[in-house]
Amino acid sequence: MDDWELEYDRTYGAGSGPTGNPDSAGPSSFEHGHHAPDDGLDIDELMAPVGFQGGNNGVASAEETPVQQLIRLWMNERHAPDILPVQEHLLAGILDHIRRQSEAIQLLRSDPSSSEEEHFRITLVQTEVERIKFIVRSYLRTRLFKIEKYARYITSDPDIQTRISASERAYASKQAQILDQHFWVTVLQSLPESQAHLDDTPLFTPSMITKPDKSRAVFVHALQPCPPVQLPDGSTLEMDKGHISLLPFYVVEHLVLRGEVELV
Amino acid sequence: MSLPQSLRTSVIPEELELIACQELIEIVPFVAMDKTVFISGEFGPLKPPIKSRIPLWMALNLKAKKKCRILAPDWMNVEYLQDRLNRETTQPEFSDLPFRFAEISRILLDAAPDDIDNVDKLRSLLKDLREARQSKSREGLAKLDHSELSLPNLCSMEINEIRPVFIRSMGVMTQLVRTPAQDP
Repeated sequence: MDDWELEYDRTYGAGSGPTGNPDSAGPSSFEHGHHAPDDGLDIDELMAPVGFQGGNNGVASAEETPVQQLIRLWMNERHAPDILPVQEHLLAGILDHIRRQSEAIQLLRSDPSSSEEEHFRITLVQTEVERIKFIVRSYLRTRLFKIEKYARYITSDPDIQTRISASERAYASKQAQILDQHFWVTVLQSLPESQAHLDDTPLFTPSMITKPDKSRAVFVHALQPCPPVQLPDGSTLEMDKGHISLLPFYVVEHLVLRGEVELV
Repeated sequence: MSLPQSLRTSVIPEELELIACQELIEIVPFVAMDKTVFISGEFGPLKPPIKSRIPLWMALNLKAKKKCRILAPDWMNVEYLQDRLNRETTQPEFSDLPFRFAEISRILLDAAPDDIDNVDKLRSLLKDLREARQSKSREGLAKLDHSELSLPNLCSMEINEIRPVFIRSMGVMTQLVRTPAQDP
């Protein structure tokens, strides 16, 4: 049972628990686990656990926990027609936390002396890890879906490139390049030179590059009183806390980015 | 590919249930557990028979192993829901219910019917509420324009239900308005 407290004290660095006893045996095994690249993600460079833990300890307070933030981010991304800015800091913190929890589980699983009650706690911790992994995965896949869809636009637009992570940028340019090559090999090379482009801008026809449709409607839920927004019909709308509305995405985009509203 | 076709246009009810399962609920534990640190926060210690607040997913996990009794949330009883149903049927606006009431009530009625009083009555009230509210949201479609539609007190599951139709309709309205303005 002490293993749990010790393990958590060690991983959290919160020095409130019992610190005295098996300090000699513990750290070495933890160090070992720490260097095992179990998930292949470069989170060590990205992580900044200080701020992350600050948020995590505030369960009792009204402040949003990282998991709540992640869920909100996930839902916003699912509903928004455009790609929202990546939250690498939050994500790195969560991934790091998942890794530490998994390591703790491994450690305790391999300990044959663990009791029935211990086992049951391990199962709960494991269940939560799986739930959060699912959300992280779904969040990243949603972004990848949009990146695939708008790959050509992303490679040509510097503004959107600031909103995605380095690996997502690499993915987008690779995707655009493969697609171009495919079109060239299968069709374009046999067309006359004047028609063999993917970025023509003939008059009266839609652009050949797919862009996010920011006029698509979204359901917003105000998390706090919001400053007035200008609606397409010219009127203004001031949302109180808890207000739910259906309106075009571009109207509330800045409020979503500032976290004053969430998409539901 | 990266996102299955079925998930592209909207969120599915199972995902909303997953989110609802993060909400806290009161239980009476039958087993003791020390305070444990989870990613979403610290929970416990559990000391039977002292009530404790834990996330719904954890409560369901304990319940499945018969290690706790779940206490229904304070809105999930016959009087409260009957009152909301009366308001729902007599007043034009949506009555005010917890944002994720549909998910949570369904999960609880499925997983812990033995911990809840008047299960059958609750089921029928929830069904009536749902139908009354559904017909209101259908009426709301008539008020839709290209600009904005306020939907106070609409709940998560209900939003998800009307989402595809409403978003598409609004898209069509936007196009109708935009065309004359651009080419007069």
